[in-house]
Amino acid sequence: MKRRAASLMLVILFAASNVYSQTRSARNGSSSPAPVNITLPNKEGSVRFLVIGDTGTGSDEQHELAQVMLRYRQVFPFEFVLMMGDNMYGSEKAVDYKTKFENVYKPLLDQKVKFYASLGNHDESNQRFYEFFNMEGQEYYRFKKGNVSFYSLNSNYMDKRQVEWLNEKLATDTASWKIAFFHHPPYSSGGKHGSDDKLRQIVEPIFLKHGVDVVFAGHEHFYERIKPQKGIYYFISGSGGKLRKGDVKKGSPLTEKAYDRDMSFMLVEVNDNQLHFQVISRPGETVDSGVIVNAGKSNGNGRVITSSSGD
Amino acid sequence: MPFRGGMKTTLSKSLAVRIMAFASALAVASTSAVFAYQVPTAPPLSENDKQIAVAFEKRVKQYAKLREDLEAKMPKLSKEAKPEEIETHKKQFQERVRQARAGAKQGEVFTPEAQTLIRSMIKKEFKGRERAEFRDTVLKEADTKGVPLRVNYPYPESGELLEMPPTLLLRLPQLPKQVRYRFVGRNLLLVDRENGLIVDYMTNALP
Repeated sequence: MKRRAASLMLVILFAASNVYSQTRSARNGSSSPAPVNITLPNKEGSVRFLVIGDTGTGSDEQHELAQVMLRYRQVFPFEFVLMMGDNMYGSEKAVDYKTKFENVYKPLLDQKVKFYASLGNHDESNQRFYEFFNMEGQEYYRFKKGNVSFYSLNSNYMDKRQVEWLNEKLATDTASWKIAFFHHPPYSSGGKHGSDDKLRQIVEPIFLKHGVDVVFAGHEHFYERIKPQKGIYYFISGSGGKLRKGDVKKGSPLTEKAYDRDMSFMLVEVNDNQLHFQVISRPGETVDSGVIVNAGKSNGNGRVITSSSGD
Repeated sequence: MPFRGGMKTTLSKSLAVRIMAFASALAVASTSAVFAYQVPTAPPLSENDKQIAVAFEKRVKQYAKLREDLEAKMPKLSKEAKPEEIETHKKQFQERVRQARAGAKQGEVFTPEAQTLIRSMIKKEFKGRERAEFRDTVLKEADTKGVPLRVNYPYPESGELLEMPPTLLLRLPQLPKQVRYRFVGRNLLLVDRENGLIVDYMTNALP
């Protein structure tokens, strides 16, 4: 157990000045959208992806957010998308796969962007067979990109079988970065749901034991970056199709940064020992950004860089 | 990255010493943390309870075998299926299992002894504030109002599949992968994960 409290360090690169003023209300369609502004290194050969959650509504707002994703992809060519679950609200007939997913992300699918889904509490298990969710018929699975291992978990049903699978896979995983993503957040400042303590009791010891670096979750319909917990970085990106405006508890000791005024998605780039992230809102604002430097995995001297908030 | 550059230039000898001390402290902390990082395990059962749990698991396995045999006769669903194929497969699978279990009755899997055991496990899992919170979740927040309490009927696909608390799952009798526990209100259901049929249910499972 080589972990880790100090081995991952976060540097927030962009201050409030970098947060663009909202130049357009995406809802009323007035005036021009905010300019595309990439704060990520955008290097050739890095692992570039997008994170969304709680998308499956098929609403106008979900479509608008997808358009913003498309605009950003023209500049930042992310290769794939991680889905945090609740991929389909309500019925799950064949037509719902079209209206709540395929039609919304058709331009991205046409550009061969791959979606990797996890299951939420509104998702049937049969989604694991769906061609565009790339789950290989499994409710929980692992895939690798470059020096990163991704673990898609089914937090809706974390039974003994899954716990054993996760332990086994992580124990032999030599990837530089281990990223887990699933629906229910182990830590959250949400007023409606909050931290999933029972889930955390089970998964956190495994993450710590095997050196999981970053965790993405959804369920809460907002964005939140949690203060590092025992050295692990937790993000919530659950406003890809629904928004729970003002739901983040003010003054929560867990919050490093939160955004619950509009829908959003995350762009992420992993390059060697750095994980950069940028969070974009539906109006096109950058609402958070930064870099996690994994000194334990760097070629450098492992020095500690103090965390600093961007704003 | 001006911030990082700044750190590089200010890295003094004294800071390096402090970092080394911090690293040593971490090493000690990580050794002691081995014990803190244990995943919770279920408490052992009495011999009598063990027998009841094994018998329950056997009955669920019998259902799993039945539905496996039925599914094996159907066209296999691809791992890259179209939505229409998923929908058709589920519908046909439901029809076959419903037909095969036409006479199934409530309590055949959740026998009275199994119900007593499971109720006591749930009661031990949720105490005090946790119980109140979980009751709030299942009774007020979860969108499961349209779920019928009827054996061999489908769990509505628009109904929420409430997260099963993982610590409870470790405690309850283990199910084959084809069958899931689901809370609907205070009731506990056994639901087939592919065809969505309610295999059995027990009422007032949550105290």
